Amino acid sequence: MTRSLSDDRPDGPADRTESDGDAVADAEPAAVTGGAVPDDPGRIKVGVGELAVTSDDAVLTTSGLGSCVAVALVDQRTGVRGLLHAMLPAGEGRTTAVSRPAKYVDTGVDSLIGALDDAGADPRRLEARVAGGAEMLDLTDAVGPRNVERVGEVLDNAGVPVVASDVGDAVGRTVRFGPDGRLVVRAADGFERAI
Amino acid sequence: MRVDVRALGACNRLAERGAKQAAGALSDLTGTDLAVEVTGASVASGEDLAESFAGRESIGVSVGLRGGLDGEAVLAFDAANVDALLSLLPGGQSMERSAVTEVGNIALGGFLDGWANYLGKAIDMSPPRYFEADGAAVLPDGALAGDGVFLFESRLDATTTDLDFSIYMLPDSGPFRDLIVGKTAPAATAGGEADGGTASTAVPYESLSTFSSLAKKGSANAADNIAMMTGLETTVDVSRLRFVPLADVPAEVGTEPHAGTVFELQGEPSGYLAILFEESSAAAVADAMLPMEPDEPLGDMAQNALCELGNVMTSGFIDGWANVLGTSITHSPPEFVHDIGASTISPLVAKLSERQDYGFVIDTAIQTEGIQARCDVYALPDERELARALDRLSGP
Repeated sequence: MTRSLSDDRPDGPADRTESDGDAVADAEPAAVTGGAVPDDPGRIKVGVGELAVTSDDAVLTTSGLGSCVAVALVDQRTGVRGLLHAMLPAGEGRTTAVSRPAKYVDTGVDSLIGALDDAGADPRRLEARVAGGAEMLDLTDAVGPRNVERVGEVLDNAGVPVVASDVGDAVGRTVRFGPDGRLVVRAADGFERAI
Repeated sequence: MRVDVRALGACNRLAERGAKQAAGALSDLTGTDLAVEVTGASVASGEDLAESFAGRESIGVSVGLRGGLDGEAVLAFDAANVDALLSLLPGGQSMERSAVTEVGNIALGGFLDGWANYLGKAIDMSPPRYFEADGAAVLPDGALAGDGVFLFESRLDATTTDLDFSIYMLPDSGPFRDLIVGKTAPAATAGGEADGGTASTAVPYESLSTFSSLAKKGSANAADNIAMMTGLETTVDVSRLRFVPLADVPAEVGTEPHAGTVFELQGEPSGYLAILFEESSAAAVADAMLPMEPDEPLGDMAQNALCELGNVMTSGFIDGWANVLGTSITHSPPEFVHDIGASTISPLVAKLSERQDYGFVIDTAIQTEGIQARCDVYALPDERELARALDRLSGP
């Protein structure tokens, strides 16, 4: 049998030498996460540097947040929700922010809002919940707090209010974002609260 | 011959996409959702590969490839995981041969679609051949003879049931290396970050093999140092140099609570090193080092003991590198960590990710005899600095 060409072109730097010239724009579709099974109605896992959007009852989860930050956005009227797991504060101007916008807070939040818009949310009605951004190590010059600060700035610029947050300290977190629009944050010691 | 580590990144991305297609196909077939947790490229000599497959039994399928990609591709499941897989397939145990062949065929087909697409050339697959193999017999012909192969490994994890397994992809090494050099190296140049460029990330293939052996020596040193400090006998279970997307590293460490130490490395290469124990292992090792049982399992006394142990292990690990690379590498004082495993390593990954998307990860599992304890060492060197040091290694 023959494996032939399909429309699913690979992304990444290698594409840019392709002759047909359309390859640069093929960033990951925003509503599909790398590690996730997008049509799973139960649970969608969002990996590091990924985002996912749902308009049904799926629970969006991301685990092992340390200095990384999770941004959960919901339009309560339509129920359309999205979750971002960003690693670094600022991606603007970086090459990798084009292919992996969700790696960074600024480009990630923009992409998330865009994906929510596409999925039927009204960006003017969005509200945000934020978790993570811990200061896990002295070695790594406050990347967690810088992530949290950037989230505040970017959401402020976008006009999205932060209604609740559980950030900072030196504790790892795992989050679940369910259809009720609340973000359930579980800390490393097992303590859990909904914000 | 030079391999560009960014080109290797592009290939890794392809392998990751292939693995996702394979996971999608398997999800459809089994009705169980599977997600690709980690995809990495191991750089290993035939000898190292033979060693890392020793004692494993695999079943799977192999196909011959012609056209855009020449050689042989093998997809293998650990025999230990096959029952779990078969139980999900239509026909189950009674259909073992044909079910595995079908799964392998579908997964390899998905995997190769990505490559064909990338190469702009069709790849012809011969009909799948079912096999059961002991140890390194799973590898394609010729893999053990040369000075090295690239082994792509993807771990697939069922999101709702307790099933995970790995897919190994072994392109025939000669043609594949030509491919990396011939096609992806210039392609990678176009995508390089403005602050780096690819000249600094191209390294001779042979020095990657050397570094892989070096990683093994470092692990052995670290294990010896544990034995010396605790009086416990130690063995190095696995030690491999892999090239992985950095964002996958936290998932690989997992969400179980871990305790251990992290270090910043300065010199060439700089980077980070994390020594992580599962909670119970950390307590057991600290207990073995202390003259009396500590008041609390991972309290101050245990933390001091683990920091001291981390210091000695890290020295053992990087001394080997510095000697062979002819550079000087120092490490920071230990910082104790105790949290969700993925959370402890995420700041290290974030810092490295400011400059690179993919990284060389040396992961080592050290097992102690007598008490049940196991630790994983993650060494995360700066990609460009490592490439520079490796380049010098091969010198004129």
